[in-house]
Amino acid sequence: MAEEAIKAETTAEETAPAAETAAVKPAKQRRRLPYEKRKQLYGYGFISIWMIGTLFFFLIPLVKSFWYSFNEVSIGEGKMMTDWVGLAKYDFVMNADPNYTTFLKDTLIETLWKTPLVLIFSLFIAVILNQEFRGRTLSRAIFFLPVIIATGPVYKIISGDMNSTGNTGAAQFSTMFSTDLVGQLLQFLGIYGISDNMSTMISTVADNIFGIVWSSGIQILLFLGALQNIPPSAKEAAQIEGATSWEFFWKITLPYVSPFILANLIFTVIDSFTSPTNTVMGRILAMKEEWKFGEASAMAWIYFMIVLAAIGLVTLIVNKFIYYEVE
Amino acid sequence: MTDTTGAVVKSESEIGGGLTPRQAKKKRMQSMTAEERGYVRRKAVMDAVWPIFRFVILFGLGFVILYPLIYMVSCTFRERADMTDPTVMWIPRHFTLNVLKETLTAMDFWNTLKTTLILNIGCSFVQVVSCALTGYGFARFKFRFKGLLFGIVIMMILVPTQVIALPLYTQFRYFGIRGLFTINLIDTMWTMYMPAITANGIRSGLMILIFRQFFRGLPKELEDAAYIDGCGPLKTFIRVMIPNAGSAFLTVFLFSVVWYWNDYYVSSTFFVNTSTLARMLTNLDTELKIRLFQSATVEISPREQIVWKEAGCLLSITPILVLYVCLQKYFTEGIARSGITGI
Repeated sequence: MAEEAIKAETTAEETAPAAETAAVKPAKQRRRLPYEKRKQLYGYGFISIWMIGTLFFFLIPLVKSFWYSFNEVSIGEGKMMTDWVGLAKYDFVMNADPNYTTFLKDTLIETLWKTPLVLIFSLFIAVILNQEFRGRTLSRAIFFLPVIIATGPVYKIISGDMNSTGNTGAAQFSTMFSTDLVGQLLQFLGIYGISDNMSTMISTVADNIFGIVWSSGIQILLFLGALQNIPPSAKEAAQIEGATSWEFFWKITLPYVSPFILANLIFTVIDSFTSPTNTVMGRILAMKEEWKFGEASAMAWIYFMIVLAAIGLVTLIVNKFIYYEVE
Repeated sequence: MTDTTGAVVKSESEIGGGLTPRQAKKKRMQSMTAEERGYVRRKAVMDAVWPIFRFVILFGLGFVILYPLIYMVSCTFRERADMTDPTVMWIPRHFTLNVLKETLTAMDFWNTLKTTLILNIGCSFVQVVSCALTGYGFARFKFRFKGLLFGIVIMMILVPTQVIALPLYTQFRYFGIRGLFTINLIDTMWTMYMPAITANGIRSGLMILIFRQFFRGLPKELEDAAYIDGCGPLKTFIRVMIPNAGSAFLTVFLFSVVWYWNDYYVSSTFFVNTSTLARMLTNLDTELKIRLFQSATVEISPREQIVWKEAGCLLSITPILVLYVCLQKYFTEGIARSGITGI
């Protein structure tokens, strides 16, 4: 990452003089600048605002944050004082901090099982919402509603998690969502025999249906877009060959939406970073409020690196199975 | 799927004229092979059962989504005593507007709304413009290091805000040239506006990507015509591309508004006293205690606090909900059309 930052800086420097010389040269000569070259400069012109911003508001902070995670950070006169401590902060975060490792583990495990569920669920709903039926517009409007609410603090309150607002007795609030309905149902049906793991798994999924439904708004949106892009010729061909809906789904729908599966996967993971119910994020914010910048940076980097590695791995594997239509 | 077979059925029954539909059907079934008959039967069963199944699924899940909203409305208009009354589930026993009024005061709603709107609309607007410029640059021009620079855009999408929020804080705290001058920008709107102007605001990486994909999808002939007529690239962009990108602009703008509206992580990093609705809602209990009961130590039972919390939620989502209801089409169709498959 540091390498990238340095490269980007040099790019920015290279552009600046190039643009200057272009401006200084007399008009006659400038016109002689080859069209392709001029276009290149225009390209830099269009992205120049972003380049400046990225340097100051993204790359420098990124490098700094990495630097902070190896330092004892304190506030000095007019700037931050840093004092190199090597891996001590990482050691502290992983071994001494009472909450971080638990939060990290929980958040990662949640991401791990929730992401596939969100993907399957949203594809399923997208297929349904893509069919013709009465009340389709209304259903779509309802299912996309989480898009506008689920990224904010309102979601935190309605999902019954009010710990961070200092409410300890919040458990009773969420009774409606956490009642052990599935457990009761299983007992009612006389199913005790399934192994405990299995029934825990089922009830976890069922208890979390709220979370899954609420975090798949934009994924449904993207899948629906993909479904609408399936060429009608493919549908007709499948019909003429007498494909059942089941075959149609596996042989036509899935290959066509496969690029979106990866996009949605990445989107789901990114969304979980900034989800208001993400405890790691809450812990980092709490650390920052105690002015422990070094620890907070180390926490953020550990979390980010693990997730980045996971995304990279999944992308590598999934990419082999994706069907890209040749353009 | 059903349509074609439906059409076939009709045309065949016409041919078999004189027979009742039932007879015609029987006759047709006899003329088929066993495999075909099986297929038709399965299809008929599926066509009958599926709509019911679909309705049950959509209704159930729709309820999961709407439940909190209905509950919100129900809580807002009840007295706090109703919360502990086990007989009250949906319809309040004591209808009251007091909770709503109290929450309005506690959140300082109208001022907060004003701040939020200024921040929100302004930031979203400049961010959309800057992201569109950048996206266009990436979509249409070839330049050195383009791959690397676009890699940075992808990094912007992937890196969580938490990683860069702290150094950004110090950067804004001591903003300026080291040794010459520094100013404290914390708690001013510049902390939100400056990244937005330079295409680095909340989720701007994603917006750049959306614009890039969108502009790549527009026909190149449009610009070539403009170039031949002597238009410069910037003029071409303003005169030719923007008019064609109306829906993309609106979609990105709407999502930007939503994301700024819901953000409280970035704003609570940079703001201390400036309050947006999202921040107010997060700190609602403290505000409630201070403004309503004039003391920070009053104990209200958590269960009774819910009425104010839900009222706060209702207040803070109402504006965005109205926006959603009015512009629903652009929310649901826009992002799919602009297509961000190219990741």
